Amino acid sequence: MIDRLLAEAVDGQKRAARIAAALAMLAAIAGVALLATSGWFLTGAALAGAAGLGAAGTFNYLLPSAAIRALAIVRTLGRYGERLYGHRAALFALARLRPALFHLLASSAPTLALQRSGGEVAASLGSDVDALESGVVRQVTLPAALAAGAAGVVAALLAGWAAALAFVAVLGVIYVVGRLGAPAVLARWRRDHAQALAAFKRDYASYAANPEEIAIYGLADQVSEALAVHSRQIAQTRLALVRGEALIGGGQVLFTSLGVAAILALADSGAALAALAALGAAAAAEGWSGLTRIAIDRQQVDEARGRLAGLADLPGRIGGASIPPGNGIAMTIDGTTHDLPPGARLRLAGGSGTGKSRLLATLAGLRGDAPERPAIGGAVAADLGLDRLRETFAYAPQDARLIAGTVADNLRLARPGVTPDAMWTALRTACLDDMVRALPAGLDQWLGDDGARLSGGQRKRLSLARALLAGRPWLLLDEPSEGLDLTVEDELADRLGQWLDQTGTGLILVSHRPGLHRLADRTWTLGGADEPAG
Amino acid sequence: MTDSDTRTAPEVPRPSLSAATGWWLADSLGAVLFAASLAAIMGNWPLGSDRVAALWLLAGLVLGGAIRAVAQGLAAQAGQVAANRVKQDLHRNLHGVLLPTRLLRRRLVGEDLRLAVDDVEALEGMIARFNPQRSAALLSPLLIAAFIAAASWFSAVILLATLIPFSLGMALAGMAGKAEADRQMLALSRLSGLFVDRVASLPVILSFAAEDRIARQIGDAAREVAERTMQILRIAFASSAMLEFFAALSVALVAVYCGFSLLGLLPFPAPERLDLQQAFFALALAPEFYLGMRRLAAAYHDKQQGEAAQRRIDAALAESPAAGAAGPAARSGTPAMLACTGLTVEYEAGVPIGPISAAWQGPGLHAVTGQTGAGKSSLLRGLVGLAPVKAGEIWLDDQAVPPVALRHLVGWAGQGAMLLPGTLEQNLTLGSQTAATVPDELITRCGLGDLVAARGLALVIDPRGSGLSGGERRRIGLIRAIFSGRPVLLLDEPTADLDPVNAARVIALLHELSASRLIVAATHDPALVAAAVSTVALS
Repeated sequence: MIDRLLAEAVDGQKRAARIAAALAMLAAIAGVALLATSGWFLTGAALAGAAGLGAAGTFNYLLPSAAIRALAIVRTLGRYGERLYGHRAALFALARLRPALFHLLASSAPTLALQRSGGEVAASLGSDVDALESGVVRQVTLPAALAAGAAGVVAALLAGWAAALAFVAVLGVIYVVGRLGAPAVLARWRRDHAQALAAFKRDYASYAANPEEIAIYGLADQVSEALAVHSRQIAQTRLALVRGEALIGGGQVLFTSLGVAAILALADSGAALAALAALGAAAAAEGWSGLTRIAIDRQQVDEARGRLAGLADLPGRIGGASIPPGNGIAMTIDGTTHDLPPGARLRLAGGSGTGKSRLLATLAGLRGDAPERPAIGGAVAADLGLDRLRETFAYAPQDARLIAGTVADNLRLARPGVTPDAMWTALRTACLDDMVRALPAGLDQWLGDDGARLSGGQRKRLSLARALLAGRPWLLLDEPSEGLDLTVEDELADRLGQWLDQTGTGLILVSHRPGLHRLADRTWTLGGADEPAG
Repeated sequence: MTDSDTRTAPEVPRPSLSAATGWWLADSLGAVLFAASLAAIMGNWPLGSDRVAALWLLAGLVLGGAIRAVAQGLAAQAGQVAANRVKQDLHRNLHGVLLPTRLLRRRLVGEDLRLAVDDVEALEGMIARFNPQRSAALLSPLLIAAFIAAASWFSAVILLATLIPFSLGMALAGMAGKAEADRQMLALSRLSGLFVDRVASLPVILSFAAEDRIARQIGDAAREVAERTMQILRIAFASSAMLEFFAALSVALVAVYCGFSLLGLLPFPAPERLDLQQAFFALALAPEFYLGMRRLAAAYHDKQQGEAAQRRIDAALAESPAAGAAGPAARSGTPAMLACTGLTVEYEAGVPIGPISAAWQGPGLHAVTGQTGAGKSSLLRGLVGLAPVKAGEIWLDDQAVPPVALRHLVGWAGQGAMLLPGTLEQNLTLGSQTAATVPDELITRCGLGDLVAARGLALVIDPRGSGLSGGERRRIGLIRAIFSGRPVLLLDEPTADLDPVNAARVIALLHELSASRLIVAATHDPALVAAAVSTVALS
């Protein structure tokens, strides 16, 4: 599936990829030809010059000298074009792949999709896709390496069959060692390095989670010592990797010189052609060695592809019939069925760990495991599925996740066609309009590291405004006033109450702060325990 | 116990002449041997006549290649060894500064993790590859030119002369490239992170049925990133094209000059007399002139990554307060009074916690109450300088002290306990200087008796917790704090996660200890509040 998506994406850039490959081959051949022709020209000129002016007059020097200059230009332009078109193909192909991958992820069953969207998972998904991009760029250099090798064989052929055969043998050895041997040998060290890095991060995160004792008991040295184990492991695996690569690279350099020596030893032509063959072969072997780099990088691309392939195996979403509007909600708490008519305002109470957030998330369709088995219009939420439930519920979860973008971008998530007026109304109800007006760019202010950094309470209110804009029959709010001081919380309760009255929207609220309790017309307690005092 | 206050600030070393640079220059020498052997072979063509000489020359060729192979390998290895040294040093010093100050710098664990591990890794390329090659790129052309001059001084002059337009061209292209990159930087940094951000925000996007719109947005953003990146690359590749051009041109110029000189057809008076061997030597060595710079260009990405990582590390270190402030002379014994006036902690701009004023008499057991988020933990951290204090004073026995001064007086038991690899016993005694063993009574009274009976004091623990529950970890922290023998105890919810029986035991123990120590406990537990001599209620 991933391979198909990638192939489709690359296919869209066929023209750029072909041009890149063609220019790459041209540049590689030009590079070999430049050195080969220079060697031939020099040697030929020396012989002609030594033979006297007569011979010098018959030596065609204009063509080769022009060719040498032309080859220098062809090589430069070829390399420039190869890089430009190669990157163009990769960038635009991946620009097609990313939305397709996102769509794949978003179409799968929510619980599985959500497992794969935590911060760290998303970051590694991003870097896997980046690895694919590099893979496409590298693909272009493959024909260049092959063309260089072929040009070198042609050059060696001009010095005789034996020389050519010797050179082919050298290319063969470089191929075997580089393309086949290198990845296998290096893979182990790369794996070890990745494991050491992961273990380091895990341990560091454990220490960083509870840092107070380090300062108070002066444990910095001991922590450093404990982490040093991983630090050493990382250093060792990196060194082994570098040594391995150096061994392989060094071997290729050595074989190149052996190849040139073999050509010269076996050549049965004149000096000029021998010079052509020697210099041409040296340049060609250097280009051919690119195959090793490609093979090593190819492994990383394959690993990334393998990880991404897991996305394709996610099952799709189930869906039920549409929920007619105006239907109430029913749920079972402690064995008793409770009914909630449309437009009601419920507060869910219960100690921590009794499953209030889980119930809200199940109503919203992001989970299916609330033991209360809520049902809307007679149909159990878990059967209705996310696609139907999100038409009924607007959810402001406890973690108030905002997307990277402007205030307006975040508000526009609520539904298509949100107008600035509607945004301001929602912000006013959420007691955030003054703050947004005070921002340098107002609704278009970028939020995030290089823009305004919102406090926890401000994020909550923006998330609330977004839920208000969605205009669904029910509002699900999980700790909406966390981080607010009492005055603002009071004002929020007033305005939210007015909004609910005006729109007739139902409310299910989880809030341990008493300031919002008056919004509810009933309270159901989960977990059978009373809320702790205070 | 070495005080982390006395660590030297971690530094990344400046590029300098190093072993790796030396090996890169040795690679040039190998190239010289190769070229010399090749030139000698061509000068004495055909080889058939003198077999011994032929073998020597061919051996010289192979030896030149061997020297290059070994030199390149050793250069890579030396570079990596240097990078490893820097990385390990940084791990040791940087982590000691970063870990205790994370809350002061208002950073999440994930952010610090990227800094402490990923950014240190990112330095490797710059130290192992770029820095040595930078010195080599400056020196090797001169070395090559010197050898070429021995055969054809005019060729050497030609090569050196190309350096002038080359430098100009690179400087211009570099400036243009940087200007373009700066122009695109803001848009690119916002757009290129979009894909990962939207994937991480999938729950929100799904719950508002916005996935199709967002998928379109991701596509548009990716295309814009591609366009903008291409604009930067057009210029960036022009710089590398310039390098490739001069590399190719230098070969062409030497070939044409030497060829015409050998033919006797130079348009100007011949500056020197060349034979084939000399000319060929110059030609064979010409590609090496720009090789150092081509290698450097290939490592440029490493430099950019390394510099970016260096900036981030330096920024984090600049944020960390000077840990050196040791405060007044070490006190011992239980203070008669610990107090704070107007203490305000601010994690986020504009959201202050406090001001809090309180005074606690020592010895005695005191409680701090308040709902979640009111600032109990922040108060405790603020007292020992582990939370960003915006305003307020801390008093110890009628003298104002910086928070750092309290640290060695305090035994701390927080919401979670840090575990070091070792035995359970070692972890329990982490806070103490003495080699004594923890009395069984203490273990039982703190509710850890069952665990010790089941798995023993020699239980091996790893930093992730090796199967200990959250409650068990907190009790380890509590025992650690008490056993440290320090006169002041700051406890954050010491009886949370405890059943009533064990909670009562702990409260009784704290009550006993309060006869000789000053204990401040943040708590919800009404039984603990009842046992306290004073209660500060935060709102």
